[in-house]
Amino acid sequence: MRKEVLLLIAKQFFIQTFKSKGVYLLLLIWIILLYYAAFSGVSYTDQNHHRTNHQEMARESWENNPDKHPHRMAHFGTFAFRLKHPLSIFDFGLESYMGNAVFLEAHKQNTVNFSEAGFSTGLLRFGELSMAIILQLILPLVIFFIGYSAISSDRENGTLKILLTQGARWKEILFGRSFGLFVISLIFLLPFFIVSTLLLVFEHHGNEDSWYRLMMLLSSYSFYAFILSSITIIVSLKSSSSKNALLKLLGIWMVMGIMLPRTALAIGGFLYSAPNKLEFRAAIEEEVIQYGDSHDPDDPHFKMLKDSILKSNQVASVEDLSFNYGGFVMKEGERISSLIYNKHHHRLLDKYRKQNQFLKWLSVINPFLAIKNLSMALCETNFESYINFQNQAEDHRYHLAQKMNDLQIKYISPKISGSEGKKHVVDREEWKKIPAFQHRFLSLGKTIKNETTALLSIVCWVLFAILIIQYYSKKAKIV
Amino acid sequence: MFLLFFKQFLRSKTCQLGLFMVLLLGIISIFIGKQFADDQKETSKQITLKQKHHIERNLELHKDDLGLLLYYLKFTLVNKQNPLAALSIGQRDVNPSVQNVSILTLEGQKYDANLVNPVRLLYGNLDFSFLLVCIFPLLIIAFTYNLLSEERENGTWKMIKIAPKSLLNFLLLKLSVRLVLVLLVMSLLSFTANWVLKIPFNTSFLLFYLTGVFYLLFWFALSFWVISLKFFSGFNALLLLSFWLLIVVLLPAFVNNTVTNLYPIPEAFTTMISQRNGYHQKWDENKKETMEKFYANYSQFEKYGFPSEDGFNWPWYYAMQHLGDEESRKESNAMMSKVLQREALSKQIAQFVPSMYSLLTFNDLAGTSLQNHIGFLLKTNSFHEDLRLFFYPKIFSNTDSRKIDWEQFEPSYYKEQDLNTSWVKIFAPLVIGILIFFGISVRILIPKGY
Repeated sequence: MRKEVLLLIAKQFFIQTFKSKGVYLLLLIWIILLYYAAFSGVSYTDQNHHRTNHQEMARESWENNPDKHPHRMAHFGTFAFRLKHPLSIFDFGLESYMGNAVFLEAHKQNTVNFSEAGFSTGLLRFGELSMAIILQLILPLVIFFIGYSAISSDRENGTLKILLTQGARWKEILFGRSFGLFVISLIFLLPFFIVSTLLLVFEHHGNEDSWYRLMMLLSSYSFYAFILSSITIIVSLKSSSSKNALLKLLGIWMVMGIMLPRTALAIGGFLYSAPNKLEFRAAIEEEVIQYGDSHDPDDPHFKMLKDSILKSNQVASVEDLSFNYGGFVMKEGERISSLIYNKHHHRLLDKYRKQNQFLKWLSVINPFLAIKNLSMALCETNFESYINFQNQAEDHRYHLAQKMNDLQIKYISPKISGSEGKKHVVDREEWKKIPAFQHRFLSLGKTIKNETTALLSIVCWVLFAILIIQYYSKKAKIV
Repeated sequence: MFLLFFKQFLRSKTCQLGLFMVLLLGIISIFIGKQFADDQKETSKQITLKQKHHIERNLELHKDDLGLLLYYLKFTLVNKQNPLAALSIGQRDVNPSVQNVSILTLEGQKYDANLVNPVRLLYGNLDFSFLLVCIFPLLIIAFTYNLLSEERENGTWKMIKIAPKSLLNFLLLKLSVRLVLVLLVMSLLSFTANWVLKIPFNTSFLLFYLTGVFYLLFWFALSFWVISLKFFSGFNALLLLSFWLLIVVLLPAFVNNTVTNLYPIPEAFTTMISQRNGYHQKWDENKKETMEKFYANYSQFEKYGFPSEDGFNWPWYYAMQHLGDEESRKESNAMMSKVLQREALSKQIAQFVPSMYSLLTFNDLAGTSLQNHIGFLLKTNSFHEDLRLFFYPKIFSNTDSRKIDWEQFEPSYYKEQDLNTSWVKIFAPLVIGILIFFGISVRILIPKGY
């Protein structure tokens, strides 16, 4: 393969494409779409202001509490607000379907509420328009449209014969055209990354991690564009006419981009049905009752605990102990109920993961799904990033509750059982010692580890695309 | 002639492949509807029993202390499901259809989210309404994009041109073959779904079905217009797919983004914080002041007077809880009114976009819209108040819990009023769309001076 010839063919295809007026119209529409997607990305992430404001508001009201019984503070609780990653400007992913705020209090794992979807009309179900969606779903159409006749029209008007008789080899023609088409697709691709970079610089002061993520996004989407370009050239080569090539490409787009993902998830959901909220809560409640319910005065587990405590401390009643027994019971109760809750919650998440697994597997044969999964993961808007938030919130809740129980055990007189009034209290300075909740994003390493399937799939597809062009350049026929 | 064309079309590869795909997806969508309906049925079966056990268990533990008992007791309100919901799940997967509330502060309970896999929400349900709104148009495009161009490309065009029948009649005949076939498939699936999902054959179902029919007719009209522009097949297909992308993906996404950005709802967060503060801060305040605020709302209980400032008592506790709701009412109302504004604006714009219009109409008919959920939330408010007004005097007068008839607390049901719009009004936006595109195409196809 001669490099000069390949580049010459690529260049010729490039120039030829930009001779037609259609491309400029396409570019214009493209820029409008980009503008709108970037605009909505910015307004979506602007919501972060509300969240940080409310996080501060929640903190302020926490710290402003007067001297109080710690158990009152355990119920006063606090809130965790989910932050949007700076890169969610590029790919909204699950953003609209994730809950945004959760109340953290003792004894109770509340749901993460107020997802955008809950406040949405049915229209959300048509999908959202982010920069990522445009690249995933509409860029293929653009590439198909520009390249569908790359080989077939030359064959139809006989220029292919001329090219070959002039000494160009099949390999050079196919790789040259693919490369030319790829370069054109980069012209469509790059503005998205320029805009994202600018937004990251001006809107979010993106940190180092975000830049790595953006670089990975850029290379993944470039790979995606390369795969699409090669597919287009191959289909154009293998089709009897330009018309058929375009129809085949549109068919591929419909099946890969629209039908397969939804159907896959429907089947996943059908095979692994997850419990609903009532069943989930009921199962936990049942197990807590079985194991030990600290709110039940006659619970055997806590009766035994009491007897052993009294015995080891050699006292007759809990009021004679050197610490507040109520706090101690609540600490044990919190430990048990959290343990059981977490067990059930993990089970539920595994069910969800199994439902989603279908999509992961499909990403091996469907580059559209591979790029979608990878893109959401890199923008921290996928399933695992949501779970990461939920785990952080639950962790914060647990430590807050146990800290309050510790304060009660330590500072409240053993003779006191209620939490009302201003007499049996702990100094308000203690409240400030509790760290404020702060949502931390997953590290890039973790993200990559979660999405190895998609990453591998993209790389394999690139290799596969090169191999298949190789293969056909040996078998291609002129007519 | 019609039958001949019909048979000829049925033998084509496009037709067979298209039909196979749509029928397959149709069966999947019915299964999904069935799974959804069964889940709901199972839930409502369990609810009655669960509520009974829940009350029994707590009565056993806390029968001596009514205040404490009511701290634990939860009462169930169910958003009764319309059978059509299985065809158009709408917002029912995101928003819970069961509320389990105690007589504590309601604002802290009623927004509890459903447990769902967010990835499933992202990709959306493959329910029958999705099939109708998104997939059927693709079938129509596949069936019609080369209606005219194939004749030209296959060289049969000249034969048609010399045939006596006009071009318009010829195309209409070909189009009607496809129209009849698509409507047959759609009807077959609708009535199968109706039978499998045990949906009563009533006005709602008929409206649902006819909305679907008109929506598909709209796509035929649009397709016919593109055909009449006489481009070659590939370009027709591309043009039609671009329309599909515009109508089914871009415009709805555009409207949804706009509505969301126009009415952001930070009030939701503020409500959360202020209901908590409204209640909790009362622990640090004077009991008499709290009771006065409570009596300002419910003067009928003033006769129970003021409890002692020292120590804990239940009337004061429930007064505090109520004030949590009272002091977050402003934010809560602001949140609700923004949600309603979102719904109203979406509906207004949807009149001009058939895909959005049909889906919202399906959701309305099936009682799975946002509006339905808002109605359910409002009902939850009055349900909660009824419970409180029933229990307050008993708590205040320290009634023995054994004297209360607990059997009466079976789950309650909320049923939205049926959609009460005239048929003309429902179909008008779609019919206008059909007439416009069909009219333009006929104008183009009738030769000049004819």
